[in-house]
Amino acid sequence: MSAGTTKKPARPAAPRSAAAPKGSEQRVGRRAVSERGACAARPSTSSRGSDPHERLRRVLFLVPYAVKHRGITVKELARKCGITEKVLLEDLDFLLGVGSPPFAPDDFLDLYVEGDAVHVALHQSFSRPPRFTESEAAALAAAAQALGGEGKDRALGALRESVPRDRRAAFDELAGRIYAGSPPARDSVLGRLQRAIAERREARIRYYTATREAESERTVRPWTLAQRFGHWYLYGFDLSRAKPLPFRLDRIRECSVTEQRFEPPSEAQLEKARLFSDDQGEPVRIRLGPLAAAWALSRPGVRLVERTGDAGAVVEVAGAREDWATRFALSFGGDAEVIAPASARRHFCETIKRALARY
Amino acid sequence: MQKAERLLDLAAFLLRAAEPISWHEIQEQFPGDYGGSAEAAVRKFERDKAELLELGIPVRWSSSDEDLPPGYVIDRDEFYLPNLELAPEDLALLYLAGSAALAQGVFPYARDLAHALNKLSFAARAPGASETAALAARNLSRDEHGNGSRAGEGSIARKLEELSGAVAAKKRVHITYQGAERRARTERDVDPYGLYQSGGAWFLVGHCHLRDDLRTFHLARIEDLRRNTASPRTPDFAVPPGFELRELATRETWEYAIHPPRHCTVRLESPVSPEARASFGARARLRDEPGGVVVEVSATNAEALVRHVLALGDRAEIVAPRELRDSARSILAGLARRCA
Repeated sequence: MSAGTTKKPARPAAPRSAAAPKGSEQRVGRRAVSERGACAARPSTSSRGSDPHERLRRVLFLVPYAVKHRGITVKELARKCGITEKVLLEDLDFLLGVGSPPFAPDDFLDLYVEGDAVHVALHQSFSRPPRFTESEAAALAAAAQALGGEGKDRALGALRESVPRDRRAAFDELAGRIYAGSPPARDSVLGRLQRAIAERREARIRYYTATREAESERTVRPWTLAQRFGHWYLYGFDLSRAKPLPFRLDRIRECSVTEQRFEPPSEAQLEKARLFSDDQGEPVRIRLGPLAAAWALSRPGVRLVERTGDAGAVVEVAGAREDWATRFALSFGGDAEVIAPASARRHFCETIKRALARY
Repeated sequence: MQKAERLLDLAAFLLRAAEPISWHEIQEQFPGDYGGSAEAAVRKFERDKAELLELGIPVRWSSSDEDLPPGYVIDRDEFYLPNLELAPEDLALLYLAGSAALAQGVFPYARDLAHALNKLSFAARAPGASETAALAARNLSRDEHGNGSRAGEGSIARKLEELSGAVAAKKRVHITYQGAERRARTERDVDPYGLYQSGGAWFLVGHCHLRDDLRTFHLARIEDLRRNTASPRTPDFAVPPGFELRELATRETWEYAIHPPRHCTVRLESPVSPEARASFGARARLRDEPGGVVVEVSATNAEALVRHVLALGDRAEIVAPRELRDSARSILAGLARRCA
């Protein structure tokens, strides 16, 4: 491509800005954008920011999002797109050059920053994002399959309909190429929890507590579902204990949605929210033989303390309860033992003694 | 003109057009881009079309409408993300599942998932409560240090991203693999068929050219990974029609094909937790009886069943066959000696 044959004219920024009613403000904003992006060879901050394909996907969302949320701040829009403010301003600068033939002034996209707010004067039909690509829909479908729930098939059906017609076969195939885990609870239990969350209603659950080995009835304001180390949890405010607590989904035996509505948790409450207490106590230490070491070290949350002479290892797991540590060590079939702290060692040895008595 | 800019210009042009745009007109409007030799220009345009489709923008050749000239179109209905007509709880499912998956920091097509979640906010009229809950899910699923990645996860996330791309495009990968059982390092070509998660870890399933058979690889043990970069849009292989990822992914460790099937019986003493019941998988037969539950499974890797039962603690025992019971006893006796 030689520059001489290019028909597309450069964006006529100055005359348009001057002609616009709020010209002075716009110019300030626009200059702010162009100045930051003005250096000829713009080195981008991150590889993600400079990847042209990623940029295209991003701006196809960014433009309609800014159209929908008029005056959104640069900071908020950058956060929503998962990029730095600098990269966002580069994106806005790039978009000023986008338009369609015959490339008259009104044929270009027109976005500007005024104060700290992003405005879209001309969106050139990019007023809504494109349909899901097959990999977007397949990733979401895999996540939904792994969670489950009564509405799963309806949700997957709607997702499929939102992929361009030509790409649905590719979506079907790709969705069958990822399996993100088996659903953590019965569909009916999950379906009701999802409804309770979406409608902000209190839920009554029958819950198995592992430490007490007993079931109890609880009334919970379900705030959300979250996943950690391969397990799913309901996180919400337990009314009888008067504090937010996690409930493992695979220990919820029954669930019913009540008529009682609740206010959403405040940002401050969610800010403080943790699935597990920060005060994790002393980490558990486990000595592993060579075979067990290879497996254990590929698990999340397991930290290597030292290699032992026989290609084994000593590892640490933070925040683990004694019964968990015992079971974890035993899952290596004799090739691992809990060594510290003393109380965890004792739990391990006593469990072995009792288990041996069965044989 | 830069490619990114050209693609968006082209999309804007076709979206705005009232009727199909002929190839001639496209060339005329983008002379610097689709000029030159006819064949080269057509090939370039076809590549651009393919790339637009990858972005979710389908460009179609229209010749069937009698009233309109033939040409290229972007159907607005096929372009814009429609409203997902879903009940709030069904939408919550998508939001919560997607957010939690993304917050893990390790998920196939993680970037695509982030885009999908963003788009979801357009696809529903009132995401309200679900969107808030999804945000909370992302906060909670992160670790206490405020980010989603824990030790070693960065490299797993990179491998997953590379493999996700290879699975979608059906491109062969070359891996250096550290085996667990034999503890040997090998290099091999693999046709990646799929990715699955089990017990919090990710696995690659594919046809292994070294063993000429279907094999499963633990991602944490893949030390080096290179994807065939030749002809990126041409698949290197086809996945055999009978391939079922789910079947492999839901296989319990004692169902790995090591020896002929053996019938095994396990007894769990009350109270039996729901997850202990569920831990024997979909194919186990469970029978409640006074004071406990009897579990019957068919094992083709009985050693693994012993490990599984031991891990259930002091209220689980292997009842039959006798050798397996002996094996459990001898392991426990060995550990008891070390405790003494």
